[in-house]
Amino acid sequence: MDNIILRVNNLRKNYGKIEALKGVSFEVKKGEIFALIGPNGAGKTTTLRIVATLLTPTDGSVEFMGFDLRKNPDKIRQGITYLPEEAGAYKNLTGLDYLKFMANFYAEKPQDVDMYIERAIKIVGFKDRLKDKVGTYSKGMTRKLLLARALMTKPKLAILDEPTSGLDVINSLEIREVIREFVKEGVSVLLSSHNMLEIDFLSDRVAIINNGQILEIGEPKALKDKYSADNLEEVFRRLVQ
Amino acid sequence: MRKFTNLLKKEVKELITFQLIVSLLFTIGLFYFIGNIVQSEVQKAGEKRDIHVFNLDDSQESKALLDGLSYAGFKINLLEGKDKAEAIEYAKNSNINLLIVIPEGFSEAASKFQFKEIEAYSFIRSFSMTSSANAAIVDQVISEINKLLSNNFLKTNFPDFNPEDIKNPIKSRDFVVIKDIMAEGSAAEVSNIVYSQSIFIPVILMMIIVFSSQMVLSAMAMEKQDKTLETLLTVPISRNQIVIAKMAASALVGLISAGIYMLGFRYYMGGFMGNIHESGQLNELMQKLGLQFTSCDYVVLGISIFLAILCALGLTIILGVMVEDLKSAQTMILPLIFLVMIPYIISLFSDINSLSLPVKVLIMLIPFSHPFIASQNILLGNYAVVFYGILYMLVVFIILIFICGRIFSTDRVLTMKLRFGRKER
Ligand SMILES: Nc1ncnc2c1ncn2[C@@H]1O[C@H](COP(=O)(O)OP(=O)(O)O)[C@@H](O)[C@H]1O
Ligand SMILES: [Mg+2]
Repeated sequence: MDNIILRVNNLRKNYGKIEALKGVSFEVKKGEIFALIGPNGAGKTTTLRIVATLLTPTDGSVEFMGFDLRKNPDKIRQGITYLPEEAGAYKNLTGLDYLKFMANFYAEKPQDVDMYIERAIKIVGFKDRLKDKVGTYSKGMTRKLLLARALMTKPKLAILDEPTSGLDVINSLEIREVIREFVKEGVSVLLSSHNMLEIDFLSDRVAIINNGQILEIGEPKALKDKYSADNLEEVFRRLVQ
Repeated sequence: MRKFTNLLKKEVKELITFQLIVSLLFTIGLFYFIGNIVQSEVQKAGEKRDIHVFNLDDSQESKALLDGLSYAGFKINLLEGKDKAEAIEYAKNSNINLLIVIPEGFSEAASKFQFKEIEAYSFIRSFSMTSSANAAIVDQVISEINKLLSNNFLKTNFPDFNPEDIKNPIKSRDFVVIKDIMAEGSAAEVSNIVYSQSIFIPVILMMIIVFSSQMVLSAMAMEKQDKTLETLLTVPISRNQIVIAKMAASALVGLISAGIYMLGFRYYMGGFMGNIHESGQLNELMQKLGLQFTSCDYVVLGISIFLAILCALGLTIILGVMVEDLKSAQTMILPLIFLVMIPYIISLFSDINSLSLPVKVLIMLIPFSHPFIASQNILLGNYAVVFYGILYMLVVFIILIFICGRIFSTDRVLTMKLRFGRKER
């Protein structure tokens, strides 16, 4: 009971006539990587945006560390960080300025900012280029910068929307390793991906989502066993058939 | 508070771009340039007009006539030469634009009241303002000669009378009345000056409004495109502070733009004031009529412009919420440009006061109309109109902030989109 950090219950979201979510429920435990996997348009981003306090649900409830999303969005914002999919940073700022700008929102004292920046530098792995404008960064560098900013403050819950999408194998691998490391240090992660294979290695538990509904939740191994499949992609195919 | 200044700093940094600085410098430069042109045109008009004269009549009277011309403000250059053909040839080759030839025996004939014709040769080398100005000079020269000759004639025959009294027995005095103030002077001159002073104001005012909103809109569009807005909306800072920081940053930049605008405007007015100082009489008249900007007037005009910029920025942030990327930002700015264009065009080609009441009300409802009409109303002492305009813009601005706050505190900041014929994926 105590080790559950996020409770999502019967979440619904309509965009006008489109029913993007039709009753989504799941829980994220402390210190785990929980992944929402499903095809494009399944409702992953919508779910994450609601949890990240960006969208208000049409129906259902979200509870983060005992705080209700509708009543206490401010409290939730203090405990989470959100990495939007395909996001960028302010192109006219240098990488370092961007990190400092974001760090200032979470720091309680000036030393905190330095500590966050130090952590961020370890994550991005390029110290010199941090003095350059973000506009000059490659896609992989930008993604690492944004991941660094999402993890450097060691939030209770990091919400990462498609953290590796569009990146090459090496960059994806590095990002997955960084995520794993931070979970060891007590950060819980809620992430999404349409790449079901990579999630197999990364996540502790997955929820398979399609058409705004969750079809299955469980550890990857348990799901594969249950559907006697080699990988999660096959599990998904069995489920939608 | 620390979080807010952090945010404000970023917003300002984002707005003060190289582009902005260049365009502000450009504005000052433009004002300065126009002011200078005006000043040099005015000086040119004040200079003596150059004419070349080939005098075949070597008499005392014709010399007196030329003295009279030079007294009337013409600069006489006498040409030497054997005959007329040679003088014309010389003028042709030496870039002389206007040659006056006084024929042989001109004054002798004149004394018998048989006038010989004076020949004027205009050399047209290009079709421009100067060539038509030359034609006007010919007329002026001839009419001046006629005046001199007829005055001479009247003086010799009616020595007891002033020739001017014989020619124009009735005199008139011109008065200009503006509100309660009356002064002696020509209405045509006064309105000419005021008109020429105010003709460029709308152009540059429009540029400032359109430019600063474009700037804010592209900053918003970039925030949307890069999803930095999404990130910002999830950090622990209240939505109201985000809106206020955006507004404050835009206002700061708007204030700087308005300040620079006023600075340029003073340069520009300096060009006219120089002109008026030279002709002391006109200067006195303008002063008497209160048709000069006092420091206080500059401040009032500045406030009016500043509020218009604020309204534009508030509207822009609302429009900015609806854009998805830089490209749609360009489409989105159009309604705003229309709103600015309407008072702009009307103030250029017509007088807002002369429009019918419903049209007038419609125009007054556009907040941007007010600074366009402010400068004239300030000159004319209609401060009430200007202050109501300022009050109205303030109210509009407060409403806009309120709407912004509402939008930012709901989903709409992310889901509100206008689509222009584009289909959803
Ligand atoms: N702002 C929006 N307005 C209207 N429909 C939307 C909006 N955002 C998402 N949708 C729709 O909601 C559904 C779920 O989208 P999304 O959550 O982005 O899926 P995913 O992230 O899994 O690809 C899709 O059908 C999408 O078209
Ligand atoms: Mg998505």
